[in-house]
Amino acid sequence: MGKLRLFLISCLMVTMAMGLWAGGQPEAETKTETKIEGLNSNPLSDYRVRQAIAYAVDMDTIAETLLEGKALVADSMVPNGPWKTPGLNAYSYNPEMAKQLLKEADWDANYTLDVVFYYGDQLTVDIMTAVQAYLSAVGVKMDFRKLEGDLGEQLWTNPSDPVNGPSYIKWDMAYAGSAALAMHEYYGKLPTNGPGNSHTPSDPEIDRLVAATKATANIVDQQNAFFELQKYVNKNLPLIPLYYQQLFIYESTRVNRNGGAYGNAQYKYDWNILNWSVTPDVSGKEVLYTNTAPVEFFQHPWFNPGIFMYSKVLFDSLLVADEALVAKEGQLASKFSVANDGMSISFTMNDAEWHDGSALTVEDVKWSVEYALQVPAIHSVFSTTFKSLEGAQAFIDGSADGISGLVIDGNTITFNFAKLDPNMMLTFSQFPPLPKKYFETADPLQFQQNSFWQNPVGSGPYKVQEVQMNDYTVMVPFESYYGGTPSIDEIVMYPSGENDGNVIKNASAGKLDYGFTKSVADVKSLEAMSNMRVTPVDIPYTRLFYVNKFPKP
Amino acid sequence: MLSYAIRRMLILIPMLIVISFFIYSGLELMPGDAVSYMIDPEAAAELAPEKLDALRDSLGLNDPFILRYFKWFGGVLKGDFGYSLSSGVPIRDIVFDRLPATLELSFIALVLSTMFGSILGFISAIRKGSIADNTLTVVGMLGVSVPQFVFGLVAILIFALKLKWLPVGGRLMPEYITYWDRFPHIIMPALVLAATMTAGVMRYSRSSMLDSMNKEYIKTARSKGLPEWRVNLVHGFRVALTPVIVLVGFRLPTLIGGAVVIEQIFQWPGIGNEFITAVRGQNFPLVMMIALFSVFAVLIASFLVDLFTAILDPRVKLG
Repeated sequence: MGKLRLFLISCLMVTMAMGLWAGGQPEAETKTETKIEGLNSNPLSDYRVRQAIAYAVDMDTIAETLLEGKALVADSMVPNGPWKTPGLNAYSYNPEMAKQLLKEADWDANYTLDVVFYYGDQLTVDIMTAVQAYLSAVGVKMDFRKLEGDLGEQLWTNPSDPVNGPSYIKWDMAYAGSAALAMHEYYGKLPTNGPGNSHTPSDPEIDRLVAATKATANIVDQQNAFFELQKYVNKNLPLIPLYYQQLFIYESTRVNRNGGAYGNAQYKYDWNILNWSVTPDVSGKEVLYTNTAPVEFFQHPWFNPGIFMYSKVLFDSLLVADEALVAKEGQLASKFSVANDGMSISFTMNDAEWHDGSALTVEDVKWSVEYALQVPAIHSVFSTTFKSLEGAQAFIDGSADGISGLVIDGNTITFNFAKLDPNMMLTFSQFPPLPKKYFETADPLQFQQNSFWQNPVGSGPYKVQEVQMNDYTVMVPFESYYGGTPSIDEIVMYPSGENDGNVIKNASAGKLDYGFTKSVADVKSLEAMSNMRVTPVDIPYTRLFYVNKFPKP
Repeated sequence: MLSYAIRRMLILIPMLIVISFFIYSGLELMPGDAVSYMIDPEAAAELAPEKLDALRDSLGLNDPFILRYFKWFGGVLKGDFGYSLSSGVPIRDIVFDRLPATLELSFIALVLSTMFGSILGFISAIRKGSIADNTLTVVGMLGVSVPQFVFGLVAILIFALKLKWLPVGGRLMPEYITYWDRFPHIIMPALVLAATMTAGVMRYSRSSMLDSMNKEYIKTARSKGLPEWRVNLVHGFRVALTPVIVLVGFRLPTLIGGAVVIEQIFQWPGIGNEFITAVRGQNFPLVMMIALFSVFAVLIASFLVDLFTAILDPRVKLG
């Protein structure tokens, strides 16, 4: 494997040398007259330097070699599809253009870029090595290092002065990934004082464009606002998008989805699990083997709503989304209605039960929303939605006992918003209510440490039958499930995290029927197995360089 | 003997305190803390720092280092091992849940490796220079040199994936009722672990036996006309076993933490795996308790080695 990587990197070098030898004509459209706003002592504050870096790195070759053709080169944070504007500059490999831009920006050849990352895999090191070589070829020195310790603090601490800095962070560029549930997440770190904006000095134009994406619930208007934002970001490159990572769903030939859709498996969507079937064993039982069983505890679904198999089948949400994660119909809600201005939504609950046989009520829903706002870590899309409710701030401050915007009337709960949240439907299709009675006296700060997460009680089509922590977990159909009885008799899960190091071994042995991975190496091996099939899915997951443009301390 | 044993046991107490303090200090030197491990770095930007701080407070992570150490140590003295920072599960439950798996695996490997290692080393020594000796020497060197994970992966490839005789890993499955249902799971990890341990014992046993066979008392035994098997076994092997016992004694602590690699390769849900996860996650109460168990095992093993050495070798006096 080591030799293969050496060979690939050598190929990159040769390609790069050929590119340099061939030269290249500067592209006319990139000769921009943009006024250099916010230029400071940090050379990366000059957009021409950032553009030069983008031109200097041959992402096409990296995608084809190191990423083995399993990634798409990115020209925007937003993935390909209806949310991306056409006509963006792809910054295709052009070392001559990079040199020219660096010359215009008066780049100091003695300056060494400090590039950081936090992934522990060899692929990241290989990519960093390739980028280092590409930049060196245009006269930019670069060192790279892996961050350890409190990554949040080292990566995302905002400077005290969001206009002039200096930056709190030490690095020049950070190689990272942005996995978005909502398109707004891609640009959340750019506005002035935006959470995690450790790197981009206040830019009124970015603030205006980002605000415009949140100002409407109308999809077409939102798309247009995103198009404008993408064009601005594409030209100024406050972030340098590198590639779109794909997700690969693998299934054994024993499994039949019976028409179930393939979507972003990291979240919940209507995947027809009730109708999946598996070739029965000798006793006639349909048993599906999969991974991501808990090692020490079940992770709560308010941070990662669907990344683990158990989260998907244990907990239902008020709405269900299609494979593109667009809310399509009620799930726990038998019906729902949204106000024309998007400022309120009402749900009438169906007759769902918790797995312990008790009724799932609107009180559980109200409690879940209020409790979630007190939990240390929930998904940012959820917290944004809930913080937009009327009276949410008073509840958070402690000046109110509940959120006044949550109104219960019989079997109906209405969410009244103080400000528009364009992603509320997304929230309601991913956020699962939990049973209030198990948490009533529990400290929300220690939500994940609650004993509930040793054997959770859910509302979905499968319930936990047996947990042998770190050995296996067995889930069986919930007999009182409102949606009917699933066809598969038993789901047996092996313990693993999101990244399962035993995928190949277990799949080879015929002991893995379903899962997903983003590991390119695993995909190549799975594709070679006759008993497995692999389905690539485009997901919103963009790898990029965050660029620190503040003056350094 | 009794006063020696009591003295040694009393010395254990200050040693445990000092060692635990060093381990705790070592953990403190690691960058970050349990909360920074719990939160995905890509999502950390979205979380309010004050919420993270509140979480740290609730887990006691904002207290000064010394205070945290004494709180932890005070708890241990009262029999309260604390709770896992990541799951809130009592550490006693985690340790007693994972330890049997590791003990089961390591004990079988230790017994097999001691048995086979001693016997093969003995054969190798008494057949010095023969084909058997040379073959065992080469095998022994391979066993010592080749990493466990290579043995493990080769074994999985052959016996699980190609021949399909044994399961690829794991320990328990839902349908298992008796021990014999799950017995096939332990065969490969135990044999692989034993194989790598056998090599060391064999080499040690061989050189010890050769050394022993050159001693005067062996010549005396032979000159008395004793049969060769009796000279070898009763006079030579018994004495040669002393350093082997020392080696095996010091391997006793591996019953707790020595099978980490094997546990990972064979998905064996033991304490070694748990320890690695806890160290990565800076789950310090859990790390401390597993480390303390290991340290205790090392100290006890050292004590037992002294006792057995005195029993086996009349020249050794305790005092």
